[in-house]
Amino acid sequence: MEKRTIRHDGIPKVTGSLHYLTDLTFRDTLYGKILRSPYPHARILSIHTEKAKQLPGVKAVLTYADVPAVNGYGIIVPDHPVFCETHVRYVGDAVAAVAAVSVEVATAALLLIEVEYEELPVLDSPEKALEPQAIKLRPEGNILHIAHHQKGDIGQGFANAAAIVEETYELPRQMHAYMETEGGTVVPEADGGITVYMGTQHGFKDRFQLARILGIPEEHIRIISSPMGGSFGGKDELNLQPYAALLALKTRRPVKIHHTRMESVRAGLKRHPMKITVRTGADQMGRLTAHHVEIIADTGPYTTLGPAILDFAVEHAVGPYRIPHVLVNGKSVFTNNANAGEFRGFGGNQITFALEGQMDRLADKLGMCPVELRRRNLRLADDLGPLEQRIVPTNGARLVLERLAETTMREHTTSSRKRVGTGFALTMHGGGLGYGRLDHAGGRLCLTKEGKIEAAFGFEEAGQGILTVIETMMLKAFQCGRSDLDIQIGDTDRVPPTGSTTASRGTSMVWTAIERLKKPFTKALLEQAMRATGIAEKQLQLGVGGVYEQGTLAIDYKSLAHFSEMPLCLETSFDFPTSPDPTEGGHYLYTFAAVKAKVEVDRITGRVQVLDLKQAVAAGPVVNELGYRGQIEGGGIMALGYALMEEAIMEQGKYATENFDTYMIPSIKDVPFDMETEAIETLEQGDCYGPRGVGEIGTVAVAPAIAKAIHQACGCWVAKLPVSPERLLEAMEEREEDSWHSHVLTTEK
Amino acid sequence: MAFTRANNRKVSLTFQINGQTRQVETYASVRLADVLREELGLTGTKVSCGIGRCGACAVLMDGKVVNSCLLMAFQATNVELQTIEGITASAENGVDPVQQAFLEEGGFQCGYCTPGMVVAAKALLNENQAPSDEEMAEALSGNLCRCTGYAGIIRAVRKAAKGKQSDVEGPNSSA
Repeated sequence: MEKRTIRHDGIPKVTGSLHYLTDLTFRDTLYGKILRSPYPHARILSIHTEKAKQLPGVKAVLTYADVPAVNGYGIIVPDHPVFCETHVRYVGDAVAAVAAVSVEVATAALLLIEVEYEELPVLDSPEKALEPQAIKLRPEGNILHIAHHQKGDIGQGFANAAAIVEETYELPRQMHAYMETEGGTVVPEADGGITVYMGTQHGFKDRFQLARILGIPEEHIRIISSPMGGSFGGKDELNLQPYAALLALKTRRPVKIHHTRMESVRAGLKRHPMKITVRTGADQMGRLTAHHVEIIADTGPYTTLGPAILDFAVEHAVGPYRIPHVLVNGKSVFTNNANAGEFRGFGGNQITFALEGQMDRLADKLGMCPVELRRRNLRLADDLGPLEQRIVPTNGARLVLERLAETTMREHTTSSRKRVGTGFALTMHGGGLGYGRLDHAGGRLCLTKEGKIEAAFGFEEAGQGILTVIETMMLKAFQCGRSDLDIQIGDTDRVPPTGSTTASRGTSMVWTAIERLKKPFTKALLEQAMRATGIAEKQLQLGVGGVYEQGTLAIDYKSLAHFSEMPLCLETSFDFPTSPDPTEGGHYLYTFAAVKAKVEVDRITGRVQVLDLKQAVAAGPVVNELGYRGQIEGGGIMALGYALMEEAIMEQGKYATENFDTYMIPSIKDVPFDMETEAIETLEQGDCYGPRGVGEIGTVAVAPAIAKAIHQACGCWVAKLPVSPERLLEAMEEREEDSWHSHVLTTEK
Repeated sequence: MAFTRANNRKVSLTFQINGQTRQVETYASVRLADVLREELGLTGTKVSCGIGRCGACAVLMDGKVVNSCLLMAFQATNVELQTIEGITASAENGVDPVQQAFLEEGGFQCGYCTPGMVVAAKALLNENQAPSDEEMAEALSGNLCRCTGYAGIIRAVRKAAKGKQSDVEGPNSSA
């Protein structure tokens, strides 16, 4: 790993001086509030806003009738209404918005908006929505998307199996729970345009969507989208931007909206709950013969990235294993529950829990070590990808498995009422948006008049550390100093469009851009320096503060910039690499992780404590040690929450968990104090794709490792997350004491 | 309740904050967190859950950690308040040793929980210069972080604690 460096944005963050976009307030600011549906499903009979408009201090009250152009948003399909007109389809649906002189007045005004609803039957599960007589949430029916993958003949595969296991896995609705809730300010500009100060993961996509809603040209919209207090996928879609923008244009004053936690919970996206039924067979030697997977995803009322997430789950259903006969069917179903969308791992977490659960159950049935079973079925470096597409050769699966298979876990003392167990899991995770999806990237380097080397990218800093990634790569490429750099991100007026800050793509796209610009930009700088100094180009080299000849400063960057009238700027533009084989949504670059978890199960309370968590990750060279480790450790604990405590419970389409008093995320008391992350930095010979992003991989395989550790501790298989103490106690009671122990083989030393 | 507040008269409140006296005209029922952020511009104090569960709004009141989202502003008028800005301002080199440890050990990512976390860590280390893991967990259990998995925070507090200890034992100790 590279030497540690303090983060680019570190000092402002630890001192509290950093202004997040929700910290900004402009002169004459009004405050916005949004009226959302109290019902998960209802027809709107009438909306009356007169009384609200008359409240002193209220400056505007808007409904669907006030949307100038398209009344909808969504990254792929704009089917999420800005304001509902005829129907509300979940409790987060917006009906009206208010701008007033204070939050208090705006809140009071919401109570004066009269909406008459006729309640409709609530489809609070995909099963209900799929019933033939179910009310249709959409004219085209209640199925958003169907995805399918098949190879071989599973009938034959199961006929060849010596052992078959079947299980249904249930995965919960998880909240992103970023600490900074959605919010910011929209400022109306003199030209009729707006400047939007709100966090998002793709400023240019926001700009496009806002132009479509507001009916103004994209060039009149400026999006400032960094820094953010976390996102994890949850701020990729528009959220408050349309409301603040409409109110700002209406009132001609800046409008600030900042969700309270409860508003954020109701309106925000969630991880797709999935029910996954899997039947898997293996022969006597432990070689997988057949794998049949049926996935049902609860996508909520609107499209967002539901189809792509289902595709991702289908693609990753076989993970890093060679399986000759495979059948995978996925269905994403509209319901009146929370709108489900992208979330770190993007469908990989759900399907990996099911796949790895199957591997552990098969190993148990065959009386085989679970790591050995995985080893026998691992893909080889040159194997095709999970959809039979060509991928960049990688031996990552074997490298991460072997790295963790050898290690032992730390010793822990435990009391007699507690049982300890260890589990292991693997994952293979695709980066980028996938084949057939617009996945543009690029970057721009300039020598500014101030004598700074400006590196401009359309990425956003959500906390992941992209600024430090850019800084580290720039310093390495140009040998300049930190103070020579001016890094520009997250502002559509100042950066080129380089695609979304999602899908673990940022790091590898910054690397590619700098690789492409390194030689020509260096050459351009040196040529200019030669003209300015008269020193031969080949005697010059870039360094801290300027261009050097034999270790002596020949010209500083500021003088160099002023030597020419023409600004020195180079831009590059390219697409995220995809497989040459046309497989819809299929990935080309993959990363791998192995996870070992050690848990302690309390036999009296049923509570599970994770004692130790180790991850080995194969994602190419590490750019910044702290950033890399932080992503893996943080992702690991987010997944610990997914495994043991996090569930946004809904009852008949309404939240039972609306804040951190009922929706529990891990606290410092829930985590192991010494996690380990092992980075495997080698790439296959000839791999020209550099470091891969690690934003997601650390979250994917942790839950199955914990589930297996629980099984090893107390003999109970976990098929439903989060693991509830009640269910675990029941399961432990049902089991006959110690009967399991004799036929569970463990890998633990 | 919100409606009545809008119609209420404002009151004058005086705060002792970060070593200064600050006077604010505001409503009697306003939360301390809102006064800090909106009236005094001290936006280092964050609000995330609003119900005292996440600790993003933590400040020191007479040296003890409190959640400023749970306090009415008038309750904080006859005490010494210190926010993250005050901790920074009283640091010798612009960065307190606890903040420096957070920088060096990756004790933050998005940074939104960080001011509250630093405040809580300061309060712990002021009381207990060599906390055990259990004591650290106890002291920081009211501060949620969604990014780091706490690993970097744990390393940072351990490091700051060690630094603190050596300060105290060293010849140039200021303690």
